[in-house]
Amino acid sequence: MREDMLTGARQTRSPGEPAAPAIELRALCKSFGTLQAVDHLTLTIEQGEIFGLLGPNGSGKTTTINLISGLATPTGGEVWVMGYQMPRHARTIRQVLGAVPQETALYEELSAWDNLDFHADLFGMERKWKKARIMQMLDLVQLQERKHSRVSTFSGGMKRRLALARALLHDPHLLYLDEPTLGVDVQSRRAIWDYILSLKEQGKTVLITTNYLEEAQALCERIAILDHGKLIAVDTPEHLKQTYGGSVVELETVQRINVADDLRALPGVKEVRENGTRFTVTTQEGGEVVPQIINLVTKLVELRTIAVREPTLDEIFLRLTGTALRD
Amino acid sequence: MHTLGSSLRALWACLKKDLKSALTEPLYTLISIILPLNVLVLMSLLVISGGLAPTAVVMQDAGPLARQFYAAMGQSHSFVIQQATAEQANALIQEGRIVAVVTIPADFDSRIRQRLPVQVGVKINNLNTDFTNDIRRALPLSITSFYARAEPSIVTITPQERDAYPHDLDYIPYLAVPILVIGLMVGGMVQAGTAAAVEWEKETVKELLLSPASRLAILLGKMLASFLVGLVGAAVVLVVLIALIGIWPVHWGELIGFTLLILALFTAWGTLLGAWLKRRTPLTTLAIGLFVPLFFVSGPFGPISFFAPIEQLVARSFPVYYAIVVLQHAVHDFTLNTFGPGINTLVLAAFALFGLILATVALRR
Repeated sequence: MREDMLTGARQTRSPGEPAAPAIELRALCKSFGTLQAVDHLTLTIEQGEIFGLLGPNGSGKTTTINLISGLATPTGGEVWVMGYQMPRHARTIRQVLGAVPQETALYEELSAWDNLDFHADLFGMERKWKKARIMQMLDLVQLQERKHSRVSTFSGGMKRRLALARALLHDPHLLYLDEPTLGVDVQSRRAIWDYILSLKEQGKTVLITTNYLEEAQALCERIAILDHGKLIAVDTPEHLKQTYGGSVVELETVQRINVADDLRALPGVKEVRENGTRFTVTTQEGGEVVPQIINLVTKLVELRTIAVREPTLDEIFLRLTGTALRD
Repeated sequence: MHTLGSSLRALWACLKKDLKSALTEPLYTLISIILPLNVLVLMSLLVISGGLAPTAVVMQDAGPLARQFYAAMGQSHSFVIQQATAEQANALIQEGRIVAVVTIPADFDSRIRQRLPVQVGVKINNLNTDFTNDIRRALPLSITSFYARAEPSIVTITPQERDAYPHDLDYIPYLAVPILVIGLMVGGMVQAGTAAAVEWEKETVKELLLSPASRLAILLGKMLASFLVGLVGAAVVLVVLIALIGIWPVHWGELIGFTLLILALFTAWGTLLGAWLKRRTPLTTLAIGLFVPLFFVSGPFGPISFFAPIEQLVARSFPVYYAIVVLQHAVHDFTLNTFGPGINTLVLAAFALFGLILATVALRR
């Protein structure tokens, strides 16, 4: 019998109503002494979504993940996972949660098979399915031939793949991946991305924390940006670019000129960066200010090159948090 | 809903996993076996070398009474005596190879027969008061013992000994029991402590904490694995005690039962320390560092009721004391306190349960 049937603890929904969000954080707080690691964080992640959690070091990403998985207890607010409240229904939540921690948490002195076998037993997988499921997962991450090798002999990429196989072994509804491709070679990174994208097709919800914006852009349908424990922005990558990006004008002049302050004074210009004869001008949304920028510069000096492009997520991140992602 | 079945599977999984890990990384298992054997050897050497004072006897009189006096010295359980000439004896004491030179004078027999005072010369290498006092105590004892045999009419006071136990026991067999307890303590704590600490050290604790398995099942599985490895260590120590020291337990059932209980107790406390310290090196250092004071405060050399009240209070605060009491009864049929086997067992069980509860609380990130 399901726990919610016994306790009535699960959020009740009428027939026809959409399923409970995969994750719902309500004014979540966590402090360590005087440090407010997570500050009134309110966030909803729907089922079937691939969601990215971004933030510089110390922004509260890992603490948030720990609060969601019950590894830490909130000092305020609520965490709901698949309609169950943490930590009240921690065990039920853990049953539907698959985790790939940053450090992989693999037993390196044991074989790949032993690691998966241990995980299956911890999660109470039925014996009759266990062996076949382990084989299936090892096939998925292409480690079948190394199943009896000690994990300590594996490369970083192989360990990540094994950790992913382990997280998927008990068929969780929600998967969280903490820096899933950290320290992984390009080839393995691409393979891991493909696995993650295939999870969406299976209806899984995936929560990713990453320092690679390229990764977030490639995988995530929505991104939340955290800084100092606070939610700075949450949206799709494209929307974030539109909302916070505007356009980026890159100019190169034939000789060095002193125009940066004049450019900054133009209405609609957000930021000007100067590097010798090169200028990178970030504007607010809409392209109205672009002709004015070109006019202003060409009055003073001839242009060598000019390009107008969308901002990268890195640039948006830098603008929102005032810091680079991998600082 | 989490059933007993799923908890048992988690327990079995943790047991199996930790046994595999112990086999692939046997260093700490070896430490937990070698350490108590080390203590046994150390204590044996201490008793063998420290108990008797090496002494040279210069026999200037070879008469029967002088020889009787020499024999009395040998039977005093205080000297390792050897005959030497005056020159040889002087050389030995100057080289620091003996503690004392006892010179039996040439007129020893005749003066004794005439009931005249006799002066037995004693030269002591008094660089260590422990040995010096041994000589000062033992020589008058030898004289009394000599007179009791040579002139029974003079020494009219004789002890009328009635023993509490049917047989005497040497020091090493008596010490073998506290050493066995220390073996169980170090073995259990090092094995269980490192098995717990390594989960944090290698950051695998998340795999345990993110699973739906109950903490108690995880801990019991891990503790059971350490318990089984600890049993191997305990068996090795016991075999050595039986084979080398020659002890033969009086109550085998008690020995097995109490050994299991004591090992379970220290396994629980080792797990607690491991979960608390989260690193193997400080855990091992602490476990090894703890055994020396706990060994000495818990009455390894005799019943603690012989000692000062404060020493008794300290001893009764630690489980090692109760472990020694129950095992001394199991091995030698000795009764070292008035609590009775039931209370002593309950106290040990309470310590074990307390350790388990605290370890369950400590199993967090």
